[in-house]
Amino acid sequence: MRGFLKEGVLFACCALAVASPSFAATQGSLGTTSTGTVGISATVPGRVEISGLSDIAFGTVDPAAAAASAENVCVWSNTSGKGYTVTATGSGASNAFSLSDGTNSLAYAVEWAGTAGQSTGTALVSGTALGGLSSTATNPGCSSGPASTASLIVKMTAANLQAAVASSYTGTLTLVVAPQ
Amino acid sequence: MPRRLIAAAIGAICTITSSASQAGAADKVRISALSDVSFGIITNFAADSVRSQSLCLYAKSPPLDQYRITASGSGPGGSFELSSGSDNLPYEVQWNDVAGQSGGTSLVANQPLTGQQSAASIDDCSKGASTSASLLVVLRSAAVAAASSGTYAGTLTLLVAPE
Repeated sequence: MRGFLKEGVLFACCALAVASPSFAATQGSLGTTSTGTVGISATVPGRVEISGLSDIAFGTVDPAAAAASAENVCVWSNTSGKGYTVTATGSGASNAFSLSDGTNSLAYAVEWAGTAGQSTGTALVSGTALGGLSSTATNPGCSSGPASTASLIVKMTAANLQAAVASSYTGTLTLVVAPQ
Repeated sequence: MPRRLIAAAIGAICTITSSASQAGAADKVRISALSDVSFGIITNFAADSVRSQSLCLYAKSPPLDQYRITASGSGPGGSFELSSGSDNLPYEVQWNDVAGQSGGTSLVANQPLTGQQSAASIDDCSKGASTSASLLVVLRSAAVAAASSGTYAGTLTLLVAPE
């Protein structure tokens, strides 16, 4: 029995609805010195990015035991608290977390941990955002600072494996992160 | 006699140096036609954001009509930083003594850029060219990516003196 997951990388954003500060540049007068001032303003909108995702190949799994796969990913957020939410959806019926061989399905579970290097995390419900997460990434893509900031864990129970018809199963897991 | 010649020569050098570095009492400068700089909402985090403007810089300082410009921001110690509450966003300032330019010499906060020359013929640029210098404000992409979301604001002060 073989399972395969392919995740999409998504980018979520939201803009701040904040009015720009009002300034009035001042002009210098003629003299032995002259001074002028300029007001400068810029709005940095809330942004997040998820990266560092890899496909998950369980290979041939033994139905006698549960199977699990964990990987480190990078989530960057620029909110003040570097907070974000993550929402996962599968490619099964009604976005269920399940793989398919075209006829039969194989259910799996998804967990998320807000730190890298974890083998367990908070179970995700398809289509329901998990909030209260905070990133330690210092820039998009984790090109500097920590190389990864969160853990994605995919699990299949022995019971589900034993109930599945012997076959090769594939599916897609989509992850959406948003600023919080 | 040789000693007198040496002394005279040193005196001449000192006089020339003094003349080139000090502005006369009648020398005048004026900076005007400045506009506020609004970057709006920054949507591209991968590229630097640049705003340039042409302004009027008049310097009457014979024989070269040269001036020096000193910029200071509203960040700590006059640094070029915008603020949003306790968050900061650094920026860079460039100056060009020719109008309509997309690049210039980077300014260091509180340190004068010397040897600039004005082509303005009248203090408000109402005759001849309407602008005579370029001011550029640059937000580096790395600084934007490192900044927390928010609306940032600050003031840039430009002080001009004749040379």
